[in-house]
Amino acid sequence: MKAIHLFYIFILVILVQLYVPARMIYDQEDILKTGKAFKFKTQPVDPSDPFKGKYIYLNFEASTVPSIDSTWMRQELVYVAISEDDAGFVVAKHVTRMPPEKGDFVKAKVGWYDSQQNILNFSFPFNEFYMNEAKAYDAEVAHRNAQTDSTANDTYALVYVKNGDAVLSNVFINEIPIADYVQEEH
Amino acid sequence: MNSKLINELPELVKNQVISEDIASIIQQYYKSKQEHSPNKLFTVFGVLGSLLVGLGIILILAHNWDEFLRVTKTVFAFLPLVIGQLFVGYSIFKNKSSTWKEASGTFLFFAIGSSIALVSQIYNIPGDLSSFILTWIVLCWPLIYLLKSDVLAILHLVFSTYYACAVGYGFDSMESSPWLYLVLLAIALPHYWQALKLRPNANITSLMHWLWPLSLVITLGTFVSQHGDFGYLMYVLLFGLFYNIGKIPYLDHHSLRRNGYLVLGSLGTVILLLLSSFKWLWDFDIDASSIPSQEFYIALILFMASLVVLGYSYSKQWIRGFNLFQYVFILFTILFFIGMTNSIIPTVMSNILVFALGVMTVKIGADKFHFGILNYGLLIITALVVCRFFDTDMSYIIRGLLFVMVGIGFFLTNYVMLKRQKTLIKIKN
Repeated sequence: MKAIHLFYIFILVILVQLYVPARMIYDQEDILKTGKAFKFKTQPVDPSDPFKGKYIYLNFEASTVPSIDSTWMRQELVYVAISEDDAGFVVAKHVTRMPPEKGDFVKAKVGWYDSQQNILNFSFPFNEFYMNEAKAYDAEVAHRNAQTDSTANDTYALVYVKNGDAVLSNVFINEIPIADYVQEEH
Repeated sequence: MNSKLINELPELVKNQVISEDIASIIQQYYKSKQEHSPNKLFTVFGVLGSLLVGLGIILILAHNWDEFLRVTKTVFAFLPLVIGQLFVGYSIFKNKSSTWKEASGTFLFFAIGSSIALVSQIYNIPGDLSSFILTWIVLCWPLIYLLKSDVLAILHLVFSTYYACAVGYGFDSMESSPWLYLVLLAIALPHYWQALKLRPNANITSLMHWLWPLSLVITLGTFVSQHGDFGYLMYVLLFGLFYNIGKIPYLDHHSLRRNGYLVLGSLGTVILLLLSSFKWLWDFDIDASSIPSQEFYIALILFMASLVVLGYSYSKQWIRGFNLFQYVFILFTILFFIGMTNSIIPTVMSNILVFALGVMTVKIGADKFHFGILNYGLLIITALVVCRFFDTDMSYIIRGLLFVMVGIGFFLTNYVMLKRQKTLIKIKN
């Protein structure tokens, strides 16, 4: 093959290589700009990824719904209909296999089904919040300390939702972004 | 090696072993050879440098620089990627040396990884590791052919294996098999084929003769989902296939160091047969109803492939003399199906098979005057004896005698061969 043909193919390859991360960014930015913001109450724990760095894993309070259907498969894609309670935090209402026609909803994956209590456990796909490597563990500790304080504490994730897709924007402890909270504690 | 030879030339001329003319011809020959071959060491360091810089960038970005704005971080995500692309584009456009191509390709490979990783980090895109690696490999594979790069082909193979493990051995994926891994292998296969044809003696091709079978050995287990017992059969068949491939003259003519197929095939077969010489292995959970399953069909394909290689070797008259290793996969398949209803026969037969393989290997070692192969055969027998040491009700005296006999066997065979070798050398002189 001639060098110039190779070069044309190469141009095509670099365009695809640039397109993939750019598209990822565009999709996320779109949800952040035009999606609706929700607060998910959560508990952070700190693990790490070999390529992406340290993150805090978020255990959301809204992670179960009652269900009499027992045919759920592990890792199955489901749609969780959500609404807000009086304090403005998300509550999971029910789970469906098809996107609900009205109301807000988020995509999630089935964890397991508790057939004794008829409860379905699911996990949201936005359960990793990437943080500075020095702050991730401190964030977990800060959250734990905040929980044991006598005053009421709220740790929540701010998530933008659009057509079931969600982008995790930030995590807050008592309305302060978790990274700043950790810095203040120091 | 060459410089050593050149250094010795004056001495050879002085002692009139060769004439001065011949000495200068030899000198000329190596000089011209050196000028034509690209500097391999330079390529190795270039690639190693790119690899380290690329991995370093991934780690530095993984630190998560949260004092930067999202926009700044996004620019950083693209910076290494664009730099890598510029270097690769330059190498292609100017048709630079393979050193340039290998080094810039390696850098771009890791730059792509760091770019997707950083975007995922900025937007908290949750990572299933397998889909992250898959995107990465898919974005990089055309570079293997655009740059004709061996290093990228190897990185492709290594990361495809990583992908298969992430999908198949993960906690969440007990029932899924990484079928895409096979597609990933298929797209790298033409490069391997070219290396086989164009550079049969290159070190990097030898490395591929190890990495390809090794990757398959690592990942075959990911295709076992519900009928785990079939795994034994699948692996014995895979090792049988490797052994028979390793016996193809193209590979068999090379030293064992260059023939990963033969070494892995032989070791794998022996280890699995040693395992199946224990009775507990044959307590199967599977029966005739498990036969129409994914595992059964994979075993069937492997069996047919091994049979085709064996049959082809026969038709080409590559097989001279009887080598039990080449047929073990057929015998084991029969034992496996007997084992579904009866556990005694296959246990006894496996013991006999391992013993026969040990004896056979000793014989091959003796015929070839290869001490390594000879002692490998003795090791097989020793391993069998050690295994029986643990699970039989033989009296201590018999077990003790067995050990003493094998020990004496080690001494005797090595001694006899050493003596024969010495006589042969004497006759030659």
